Amino acid sequence: MRAVGSSISRVDARDKVTGAALYPGDIERPGTVWMKTLFAERVHARIRAIDTAAAEAAPGVLGVFTAADLPFNGFGLNVVDQPVLCGPGAPSAVPDADRVRWPGDRVALVVAETEAQAAAALPLIRIQWEDLPVVTGIEAARQPDAPLLHPSVGSNVLLEYHVRRGDLAAGFAQAAVIVEQTYHTGAQEHAYLQPEAGVGYIDALGRIVVEVAGQWAHKDRQQIAAALKLPEEQVVVRYPAIGGAFGGREDMSVQIVLALAVWRLHQRGIDRPIKIIWSRRESIIGHHKRHPMLARAKWGAAADGRLTAQQVDFSLDGGAYASTSTKVLGNALLAALGPYDCANQWVDGRAVYTNNVPGGAFRGFGGPQGHFIAEMQINKLAEALGMDPLELRLRNCWQEGSIQPTRSVLPAGVTIDPVLRRLRQEMAEGGDSGIAAHRPPFTVERSPFRTSLDASAPPRLRGVGLACCFKNVGFSLGFRDICHATVELYGDGEIQRAVVRHAAAEVGQGAHTVIAQVAAETLGLPVGRVELIVQDTAETGDSGSVSASRMTFMAGNAVKGAAEAALARWQDEERPAIAHFEYVPRRTTPYDHDTAESDPNITYGYCAQAAEVEVDPDTGHVHVLRVVSVNDVGAAINPQQVEGQIEGAVAQSVGWTTHENFVQQDGRVLTDQLSTYLIPTVVDVALVKPVILEYPDPQGPLGARGMAEMPFIPTAAAIVAAVHDATGVWFDEIPLTPERVWRGLQGRTD
Amino acid sequence: MQPFDYIKPQTLEEASALLLQHNGQARPFAGCTDLLIRIERGFVHPQVVVDVKDLPGVHDLLVVRNGDLRIGAAVTMNQVALNPTVQSGWPLLAEGCGSVASYQLRNRATVGGNLCNASPAADSAPALICYGASVHIFGPDGPRTLPLEAFFLGPGRTALQAGELLTAITVPFVRGSAGHFLKLGRTTIGDISLMNVAVLGWPDSDVPSGSSWRIALGSVAPTVIRAPEAERLLSQDTSPAGLEAASQAAAAAARPIDDIRATAAYRSDMVRVLTRRGVERVLEEIGG
Ligand SMILES: Cc1cc2nc3c(=O)[nH]c(=O)nc-3n(C[C@H](O)[C@H](O)[C@H](O)COP(=O)(O)OP(=O)(O)OC[C@H]3O[C@@H](n4cnc5c(N)ncnc54)[C@H](O)[C@@H]3O)c2cc1C
Repeated sequence: MRAVGSSISRVDARDKVTGAALYPGDIERPGTVWMKTLFAERVHARIRAIDTAAAEAAPGVLGVFTAADLPFNGFGLNVVDQPVLCGPGAPSAVPDADRVRWPGDRVALVVAETEAQAAAALPLIRIQWEDLPVVTGIEAARQPDAPLLHPSVGSNVLLEYHVRRGDLAAGFAQAAVIVEQTYHTGAQEHAYLQPEAGVGYIDALGRIVVEVAGQWAHKDRQQIAAALKLPEEQVVVRYPAIGGAFGGREDMSVQIVLALAVWRLHQRGIDRPIKIIWSRRESIIGHHKRHPMLARAKWGAAADGRLTAQQVDFSLDGGAYASTSTKVLGNALLAALGPYDCANQWVDGRAVYTNNVPGGAFRGFGGPQGHFIAEMQINKLAEALGMDPLELRLRNCWQEGSIQPTRSVLPAGVTIDPVLRRLRQEMAEGGDSGIAAHRPPFTVERSPFRTSLDASAPPRLRGVGLACCFKNVGFSLGFRDICHATVELYGDGEIQRAVVRHAAAEVGQGAHTVIAQVAAETLGLPVGRVELIVQDTAETGDSGSVSASRMTFMAGNAVKGAAEAALARWQDEERPAIAHFEYVPRRTTPYDHDTAESDPNITYGYCAQAAEVEVDPDTGHVHVLRVVSVNDVGAAINPQQVEGQIEGAVAQSVGWTTHENFVQQDGRVLTDQLSTYLIPTVVDVALVKPVILEYPDPQGPLGARGMAEMPFIPTAAAIVAAVHDATGVWFDEIPLTPERVWRGLQGRTD
Repeated sequence: MQPFDYIKPQTLEEASALLLQHNGQARPFAGCTDLLIRIERGFVHPQVVVDVKDLPGVHDLLVVRNGDLRIGAAVTMNQVALNPTVQSGWPLLAEGCGSVASYQLRNRATVGGNLCNASPAADSAPALICYGASVHIFGPDGPRTLPLEAFFLGPGRTALQAGELLTAITVPFVRGSAGHFLKLGRTTIGDISLMNVAVLGWPDSDVPSGSSWRIALGSVAPTVIRAPEAERLLSQDTSPAGLEAASQAAAAAARPIDDIRATAAYRSDMVRVLTRRGVERVLEEIGG
C-alpha cells in the first residue's frame, strides 16, 4: 500500500478517543497553583491607577501582576499594538497602553493556591477609570469626528488597499446590465471545544516552559520573549493536544501572561507551575472573531455575459486591535472580485478600528467575506441576464495564463473551469432536486421529538443555488514563508525507524498524519516506522503557522526535502543519516499602495458548491438540506482527511450563514455563552457530498494544494442563492436568522 | 463558584424543616440543570442545597385510581417523554417534555424542577396547563394542592412559601383529546423556546363547533398563559375562517418582549402561525 493517497487512520486518533491525549487544561503537575485574569469589562477607558494591595493580601494569593510588571507591554502578529495587560507603569510599551479598548482586554492577573482563591481576589483589585467615548462599528469609526482608538495612528482606518485596473467608466458604458447592491456579513465565533488554557513552569534548565494550545509555536515563543525581554532560547513553547483552532488560536491569549507570572514568581523565589483555564464566556469575549463586513458593489456585464466592469467598496470591522486585519484585508481585496477575468476592476477595501472584539483569523481569512460580495453579484447578474449562473461563470472564469487583478499572471495550475464543469455534472445527475447528494453510510435516527425548526409544517419552499471560489495557499504579499523539517534515519542494513522533527500544530486537521505519510512515501517505508517529534520549540525548527491552508503544502515540501536528503546520506553510509531541510516557496510581492500591482500569492486552490435548501415561509426557518462541494486539492494525501475538511468547512459555513448571530451592542458582546450564541447541531448540518479533484499543483508536494479553507468560502452565497430560488427574495445580509428571513418575506407575492 | 452544603433528607418533614431553618439560604434541588448554572453565574448564593431525590413518592410515574397521571417531583423529562402510557394518554405532555434541551440533559432535568424554576419558556408547562394539571406541595403546615395556573406568579416566581416544596404533579386524563406542542427555536434541537404553543382539543357535542379547546402559550408573557378568546372562538367555529380568527386571537393574547433572540413582533406572529398549525393537526386527529 502506498502511504500517500490512502486513508490511513490518524496517528493521534487512538489517544484522543481513549482520553490518553492531554489537552492543556488536563495537564497536572505537582504543586500547581492557579491564575485568573481580570478582564476590563469596560468598553473604552483609560486606567488612571491600579491598587492591588487588598488582592495581594487575600487568602492564598501568591502574586498579582499588572502592566507595571511587563518589561515590554505589547504584542501583535503583524502590527504590535496590543498591551499584554492594560494599564500604566511598564518601562516600555505600545502607545496608549493605559487604555482598554474592548471588554475582553486584560488588566491584571492573580495567582493563588486555588482557582477559587484567585477568583475571590479579583474583585479586590481597585482601578481608577476614566471612561472614553465608544466607537460602536464600521460606520461610527469612519465619521470625521470619531474618537480615535489608537491616537498614534492618527485615524481609525488601520489600512486601506486599492485595486485599479482598466477604465471603469468605459466598462460600465459597455454593460448591458448593471447590478448594484449593499452587503453585510456578521462576526463569527470559533467555538472550538476547548477554551483557552495552559500551564507554565520553569524547567530543569531554568527555561520558562509554556504548554498551551496554539497554531504557531515559534511565533508564540517570539512574542513571549519580546514582552519579557528575554532571549528566545530562554522560552520553550510546547503544544500538547489542541482542541480545535480554526484561526482562533493565532493571537496570544494565555501564552504571555503565563510566562510573565512564572518568571516574576521565579524571581521572588517561588517555583510553582501555574495553570489557567478560561471559561467559555472568557473565551468568547476574550479572543478575536471573523471580521464583520459592510460592502457596496457595482458590476456590469455585456449581453453575452462577459463582465465589463467590477467596482467594490468594503470595510472590515477590525475591532480594538490590528490582530491579523492587514492580512485578512489583503485576501478579501482579491476575493471581492472572484475568480473572474475583467478588464476594468476597481476595489477600495479597508480595515477599521472600533471598540468591538478584534477581527482576526478564522478559516477562509477574508475569502468568505470577499467571495460573498463576488458570488452574490455574479448570481444577480445571471438573473438580470436571464442566464444560467454556472454558464455565466464559465464565460468569465480564470484560465491558465489569466492575469490577476494585480496585473500578474496567475500561478500555474488554474482549474476553476474544470471544477465548475464537474459541479454542473454533479447537479445534473440524479434526484428531483438536481443535486446528487451522497447518503452517508448510516441513517440518523430522527428523534420523535424534533423540536423548534420542525415545529413547522408544509408549505415549504425548495431551492437550489451555487457559488465558487479560489483560496490562496500559504502566506502572501511578500511575507517570506518558510518551513523547516528534520529527518533522522536509524538502522543498520535497512532503515529501522525514521524520526521526523517538525513544529506543525495538530489542531485536529490531521497535519501530523500527513507529515508521517509524506515521510513514509518519500522514504519507501511503512507509516508505522515513522516517529514524530512535533510542536515543541526546543526540539524542532520553525514550521510556520497552521493557517492559510498552508501546512500540507509547506510541511509536505519540507518533509519531502528532508527525507530525500536523509536518504542520500543513508546511501552514503551515514549512520544515523540526518538531514535538515528548509523549504522556501517562490517569492511573492506586496501590493502597490495605489493599484495593488503585485505577484500576491504563491498558489491557489479552487472550489465550487451547490446547496439545496428548504424554507418555511411562515416562520422564516432555512434548512440547508444538501451541499455538493467540488474541490481541486491537487493530490489527496489522505482522502478521508480531505473529506473531513470539506464536511467540517461546510458545516461551519452553514453556521455562519444561517445560525450564528454574534451580537455586539455599544461594544459589548451580548451573545457571550453558547446558550445565546448558537452553533448548528448535528441535525442542522447539511448532508455534504465531497467531490475531490486532483489536478496537480506544480509547486505542491506530490501535487497537493492546501484545501482546508476553500470549502468554507462559497457556501454562504450558494445558500443565499438557493433561498432566492425558493422564495424569489434576495437576502443581502447574513446570518439568515429565521426572523430576518421572515421579515424579508413579508409582502412577498407568491 | 460559591461553596455550599449538600443535604439529602429522607422525609418530607425533614426537607421542609431544612428549608425553613435556612429560610432564603436553602434551595431544593432535583436535576440541578437550572440551579447549578445559576449558582455558578452568581445569580443565587444558597448556603445549603436540599436534594429532593430521596423523598417518598418523588419517583412515581403512574396512573392513579381516577385515571389521572401522577408525576413525582424527581421524575425526569426522558422518563415522561419516553413512557408509552404518557405517549398514548397524554401525547401533548410527551411532546413538551421531549422538546427540552438534548437527550443527555433530559436524563437529569425533571418536570418538577422545570415548573419550580418558573421560566416563561418552561417547555413542560404549556402542556400541563392544557390538561388542567395540579401541583402538590408539602410545607410546615402539611400538604396542599394548587392548580398549576395559580402556581406561576412571574418569571422565576411561584406560589411556594417559606419551607414549602413541590412533591408531585397530577395530570387529568381528557377523554378523546388530541394535542400538539409546537416549539420555535433557532436550532433544531437544544435551544430554549423563542416561543411555543400547546394545543389540546377534544370532541364536545355541547358546543357549536363540536370540539372544545385549550391553548397555552410559552415565552410570550411573564408566565405561561392561556389564550381564552382563541379557545372560545374554536368552540364556536373550526372552519378555515374560524381557525384564522382564533389564531389571531391567540396572537393578540401574547404580550412578548424584544430580546437578543427575537423581537416581540416576530414572536406574536409566530403565535398566530403555530396556533394555526397546531389546531389544524389536532383537528385532523379528532375529526373536526
Ligand atoms: C443546556 C440547557 C438547555 C435547556 N433547555 C431547556 C429547554 O429546551 N426547555 C426547558 O424548558 N428548559 C430547558 N433548560 C432548563 C432546565 O433544564 C429545565 O428547566 C429543567 O427541567 C429543570 O429541572 P431540574 O430538575 O434540573 O431543576 P433544578 O435545577 O434542580 O431546579 C430548578 C429550580 O427549581 C427548584 N426546585 C427543584 N425541585 C424542587 C422541588 N421539588 N420543590 C421546590 N423547588 C424545587 C430549585 O431550587 C431551582 O430553583 C435547559 C437547561 C440547560 C442547561
